Amino acid sequence: MPQALADGLLTGAIYALGAIGLTLTMGILRFANFAHAEMMTWGAYMALGVLTVFSLPSAPLGPLTFGWPLIGATVIAILLTIGLALLIDKLIFARLRGRVNHLTLVFASFGVALLVRNLISLIFGGEATYYTNTLQMAIRIAPGLRVMPDQVFIFCLSIVLVIAIHLFLQKTRLGLAMRAVSESPTLAEINGISLSRVVKWVWIIGGALAAIAGVLYGVSVQLRPEFGFQLLLPLFAAAIIGGVGNVVGAVLGGFFIGIVESMSVLVIPAGYKLAMPFIVMLLVLYVRPTGLFSGTSGGK
Amino acid sequence: MQKNIYSALAAVTLAVTGGSFAGTASAQSSDCTYPLGAVLSLSGSMAAIGGAIGDAGQLAVDQMNEAGGMLGCEVEYRLRDDQGQPNVGIDAAMSLVSIEGVEVLLGAIQSGITMPVLTSVAVPEGVTQISCCSTAPNFTELAASGDTQGYWFRTLPTVRPQGFVMADIARERGYESVAVIYVNSDYGVAMTEAFNDAFTAAGGTVTEMVPYNQEQASYRAEVSTALATEPDALFLVAFPADGATALREWLSFGGTQNILLSNALRATEFIDAVGAEYLQNAAGIDNAQFDGPSVDAFNAAWEERFGSAPEGPGLHTMYDAAAIAMLAAQKAGVYEGAAIRDAVREVTGPGGEVINPGPEGFARAIEVLAEGGDISYVGATGPIEFDDYGDVSGPYLIWGVSEDGELTQVDTWDVERVNELMQGQ
Repeated sequence: MPQALADGLLTGAIYALGAIGLTLTMGILRFANFAHAEMMTWGAYMALGVLTVFSLPSAPLGPLTFGWPLIGATVIAILLTIGLALLIDKLIFARLRGRVNHLTLVFASFGVALLVRNLISLIFGGEATYYTNTLQMAIRIAPGLRVMPDQVFIFCLSIVLVIAIHLFLQKTRLGLAMRAVSESPTLAEINGISLSRVVKWVWIIGGALAAIAGVLYGVSVQLRPEFGFQLLLPLFAAAIIGGVGNVVGAVLGGFFIGIVESMSVLVIPAGYKLAMPFIVMLLVLYVRPTGLFSGTSGGK
Repeated sequence: MQKNIYSALAAVTLAVTGGSFAGTASAQSSDCTYPLGAVLSLSGSMAAIGGAIGDAGQLAVDQMNEAGGMLGCEVEYRLRDDQGQPNVGIDAAMSLVSIEGVEVLLGAIQSGITMPVLTSVAVPEGVTQISCCSTAPNFTELAASGDTQGYWFRTLPTVRPQGFVMADIARERGYESVAVIYVNSDYGVAMTEAFNDAFTAAGGTVTEMVPYNQEQASYRAEVSTALATEPDALFLVAFPADGATALREWLSFGGTQNILLSNALRATEFIDAVGAEYLQNAAGIDNAQFDGPSVDAFNAAWEERFGSAPEGPGLHTMYDAAAIAMLAAQKAGVYEGAAIRDAVREVTGPGGEVINPGPEGFARAIEVLAEGGDISYVGATGPIEFDDYGDVSGPYLIWGVSEDGELTQVDTWDVERVNELMQGQ
């Protein structure tokens, strides 16, 4: 029982990290960006690429399996992911924005996702890889309760990031502008907010978050070209449960789904675990159609 | 186009046999013919492999005709396309049986087609069905419940014997309790059930059987469930990438390094991902390739006929299915479904004179049977012995991992040893 709760929280941390970026782009840009998951994959593989090209050692820090080389590689990966996000926006989404309905944008993002995923498998191959093959042993912190240091790190980082993003949205002028755009793009423009500048910053923040989430997924599990795609459904469920556009909601939604999945195997056969996020999502939407923590925008 | 090539080839073969087997055989062949039915996916999702599988059946039929034909008559190979769809397959099988008078059906490839053909055509019409390629475990269950009335056979080994062998290894290593984490598919379920049956029968305890779905972010919940039972060993039935995720988590959370691994995990990708140092006490199983004169005979005949090596799924097993069907009819002495059904086990399994693939082998089989002798067909896949449910076992190898991460071969199980184990249970 405590182990299932801990497992759920730690798996939920990965969902939460991915869902922050997803909910932000979904809330402000007003379309369900399927390519967000591929941004995560891209970021994770870029970090792997940097480590491979410069053949950096893993140099683990304390009990963690990674060290400064991976952190450095992640910084480069963040920049490369932001670059990709901006490039895709310039080539594809910018041409469509405002001219087509949001369903077309959703399909375009699906196409982008396919392109990026296949590009990654073209470069890196389809098999599962790891940043380091060193196996990390879980630490026993109580009878019947073990956790891995890496996961604790991911858990803490997701908390720190959500607080940072929350403060950024609440306290800075740019954050205010973003919230304004997500409420009503037209009204925001009338008030002198540059839409294109806000959009650019959404991609920058979204791309950076995706890269971090991707790298941490790679640290915690493994790298496969399709891992982002496999994460997509739980991420969407987390973002929707939390209320689209609501960053704190997305994190709580991520943890919630992780815990529900993990606890569910105590009662139902593990084969049905996959269905749990959706059952929960349906129940939440039935009771509260805007999500548990009402979203900042209707997402219309 | 392809059909034209076949008929041309058949004509050539006939002309040749007419010349070489002076008189009697060809004279009889022209008197009468027996149709041998096959339903395969020549188009649809399995089209890539279906065509070649059809060729393998044709090769067996042609060689039988070259040897003098079945029951003194020429065998006509009636190959029908199921288009990868069950309803088309049933129609094809039904027309073969009721209009063309087929008493043996070969096929189909996909279990989803083989099953309705079996239950709504073969069994009700009293026709023997031999599949080259369907591995689904529910055929074994159906046979065990008696609903196939013994008309069902398949020449491709199922995963069931593997579960039995692994249970034997677990007992041999002294494991009292084993937890199983398995991939939630037909393959995983069948393997786990077989292991559970055999291991429980041998006095062991399977503490927990945890299914997992593929492509998940983490298998922590599944691993924790299995770990909570504190078993002596873990049997992991998985595919390499997800298997590595699950086993890494298992080891990280302090799970035992007494590990049993399924055949799909015999991959360096998996070993590298987990780390060889944790797999020193692991044992896995995999299908072994049988070699011997019977396999060589088929391979040589195929190369001569089609100009390439017989590479691809289902070729060897389809050839054996066709050969067994015709030899069983020869043994039965009459072309009739129930008689063929009863003769299948008499022409396979040990005990009789060994018959290898090829016209010479078939000719010898006809001769021995005519004299009232026993034959023992050893086919393109090696020795064949059907169990009570129409399943065959194959040879297996047991593998381990060396200190530098190389795959090693620890032991081999030939078919006789596997059959002995299966019967002992």
